[in-house]
Amino acid sequence: MSSLEEFKDELETCFGTSCGFCERGCPVYQTMKIKTLCMKGRNRTMLGLIQGRFEITPAVVQAAFECTLCGNCDRWCSLKNTEHTRAFREYLLKHGIEPIKEHSSIQASIKNYGNPWFQPRSARNRWTKGLNLPKAAPGKQDVVFFAGCTSAVTKQLNRSLVASAKLLQRAGVSFATMGQDEPCCGSTLLRVGQTDAFNELSKENLKKFKSLGIKKIVTACPGCYTTLKKMMEDAGSSIEVVHISREIAKLVRDGRLKLKKSDERMTYHDPCHLGRLGGVFEEPREIVRATASFVEMPNNRYESRCCGAGAGLQSAFPKLSKELASKRVAEARAAGATTIVTSCPFCETQLRTVPGIKVVDLMELLLDATEGDGKNNDSRKAS
Amino acid sequence: MSYIDELVSALGKEKVLLDPSEMFVYGADWSPRTPDEFVPPDVVLLPRTTKDVQRIVKVAYAHEIPVTAGGGLTGMLGGAVPIYGGIYIDTTTMNSVVEIDSRNQTVRVQAGATLQEINDAVHPYDLWLPHQPESKWVSTIGSAIACDNDSTFGVRYGKILNCLLSAEIVTGKGEILELGHRKAHFTSSGYKLKDLLAGSEGTLGVITEVTLKLEPIPATRRVDMLVFPRMGAAVDYLSRLLKAGLCIEAAHINCKRRLKFYTHSYKQKFGKDPEIPAWAEALLAIAFAGDQEVVDTQRAYAIKIAKDFEAQLVEERDIVDAWWASKYTLDFEPFKQKWPDSQKQKKFGAADPGVPVGRLEEFYHKFIQVAEKHNLEIIGMNAYLEHPNSIGFSLSCAVFVDYRSQDEVRRFREFHDELSKLAVAFEGTMSTFMSDTYQKAPYLELEHGPSLKYMREVKRLFDPKGILNPGKKFLKEESR
Repeated sequence: MSSLEEFKDELETCFGTSCGFCERGCPVYQTMKIKTLCMKGRNRTMLGLIQGRFEITPAVVQAAFECTLCGNCDRWCSLKNTEHTRAFREYLLKHGIEPIKEHSSIQASIKNYGNPWFQPRSARNRWTKGLNLPKAAPGKQDVVFFAGCTSAVTKQLNRSLVASAKLLQRAGVSFATMGQDEPCCGSTLLRVGQTDAFNELSKENLKKFKSLGIKKIVTACPGCYTTLKKMMEDAGSSIEVVHISREIAKLVRDGRLKLKKSDERMTYHDPCHLGRLGGVFEEPREIVRATASFVEMPNNRYESRCCGAGAGLQSAFPKLSKELASKRVAEARAAGATTIVTSCPFCETQLRTVPGIKVVDLMELLLDATEGDGKNNDSRKAS
Repeated sequence: MSYIDELVSALGKEKVLLDPSEMFVYGADWSPRTPDEFVPPDVVLLPRTTKDVQRIVKVAYAHEIPVTAGGGLTGMLGGAVPIYGGIYIDTTTMNSVVEIDSRNQTVRVQAGATLQEINDAVHPYDLWLPHQPESKWVSTIGSAIACDNDSTFGVRYGKILNCLLSAEIVTGKGEILELGHRKAHFTSSGYKLKDLLAGSEGTLGVITEVTLKLEPIPATRRVDMLVFPRMGAAVDYLSRLLKAGLCIEAAHINCKRRLKFYTHSYKQKFGKDPEIPAWAEALLAIAFAGDQEVVDTQRAYAIKIAKDFEAQLVEERDIVDAWWASKYTLDFEPFKQKWPDSQKQKKFGAADPGVPVGRLEEFYHKFIQVAEKHNLEIIGMNAYLEHPNSIGFSLSCAVFVDYRSQDEVRRFREFHDELSKLAVAFEGTMSTFMSDTYQKAPYLELEHGPSLKYMREVKRLFDPKGILNPGKKFLKEESR
């Protein structure tokens, strides 16, 4: 059975229903206004394909890959739409479609470098310099802070990891990092349809986590969060996976940090993987409310709009991706915000490409607001 | 040069879709049709302006190619499905707000704007477009006019014509016409050609822009549900409320079976269907809206009168809230929206007749008999009050249809036709919110008699070559 046929009943349900409620919040459809690029159309395309109504064409490939897998369609539906799309990509790759040029290198990079971005393994450890963090060893720690490839190997994003580690220390969490041995979670492989490679990687990762005797993984990246969480659930593992915002919000809630609250009007952009797909909405807001004047965008929480970076869209369809980011920034500005706070390296980088608003990482914001650590943050300058 | 080459040349290739996979996506709506009835369009066009639409129609006119315009493709009877292939115009690419005139309470929009997009735009002015079908997130204003669909708030604000002040269309010859009376609410001048557009299904012209009347947003709303021993008792009760001078915002009479279809949220929350008294055969959902004091007064008076009609207020708010979520707020629990859950095995199929107010109950029993005769699973009946401040309802007589079964689709069509014809015999009408489409085209004369030939003449005047949505309202050969 092909991976698409597994969802045939759902595809037929969508075809039979035709409600189109997925259109309203779909960032790609609302930008492109082509029905094959919203979930209703994509489900129909998949159905037509397995019914043999047409062959795989460039338009079919576009329908599969021009999506950020942000899950907004799932919010309005009882079908597993993002799973369909992921399976659609896998189906195309298994039926001889060459991976999109920008996606094809991911697997090789992860294999050779342990990250999808062709950065040397040594780059992964750079952010820990001077922090004196213990390295994970078998049976030596319960908790591991999982930095994630993107923040670890991108110098501009290292500050958020440093802030996370410092805040974890203040929270009294005894944790280690995996240093250069930290693996890629495989999220990017999964999103672009390279499922076999993902499954292989996941097996190795699970073995690695188990051999270290880890009981809890605190992730910085929402993509790692949902990927590792699902991986543990699927494997029936007892290893707990939490996002850093949830871990640190406890500090704020318990009044364990002395905070300087600014008057700056800030909004919070829910990363798709943390919010809609991960179910973490309130903790980041608690942190922003405690540190700044909080304003909410009209599309928030489950209805949050994707920044446009996800699921390979940024690399393969940069123009569309940028348009999505511009729309989100326009929404933040219309809400009266001068700063967007977020908690995802992809969202942060993506939203920074749009001029006219400051973008700041949630952990950096909190650390800066902590008395004694309130230094100016270069990353918060308007781009 | 082929007509498609001409279209590419006239519009630019980025507005032209030709891939078979894309044709498949644009070739179907919500109507129960078997897979082998599927006819894809030959080309899908994505216009941005009225001029783009004019360019399309002129090419189609020259080459005599069918032109079907559509919006959200949520129609339940195939109105916007291009059954003869040809050109499909996706109007959703034309969704700009042209002008908001808050002082005169009007908005001018392109026809592809969804009803929700219009309301999002005018909400900051404390105004709204009260035409609110359940499909408002996807249904476009052009489609709402062309289909003449229902609104949740019809008993206060009426159907779409009560909101429509003026409309721009491109005729079947490619001429751009403005029909209506600008921002005035009504006119006694000339023939009311604008009114012909309601339910026209794109057979007279492609609607490209419209001016709509807006209303102030009421400060509060209270929705209640009452149960009655008979559907007729609910009608009598509503008549009494109107006689008393109450201003009802929404009124829907459901048969007992239909309630289950509208209380998905309740089932999600409690894991069971809502329970109502065993004696209750009809449920009336009723809303009052306005200033709190006015709402409270009207509601209290309505409840006081209810006992004279053997009615009982539904005290369990979760039932009422679930129904209202389904009809209006669409506030479903994340990942648990109603429609796909309700359509997993079979599709929603309905007949939409209208009958005189005093014959609702009689017709309800006929509906059950006819559905049972055709061996269809009954969803139930809903009577939506759609005429401002009076009792005039559209009827949704719904069943489940397995669209993959030729036999079941055939039985559904026989059911639909039988009820439509029966409604005429009841001194009513065959259609109240889905229009005629291809379904009623073969027997439209039954309702309209000799006047049908005048309708054909009107059609010829607007569309002399019969290229606009052929096969809808009239059989294709009658459109020429």
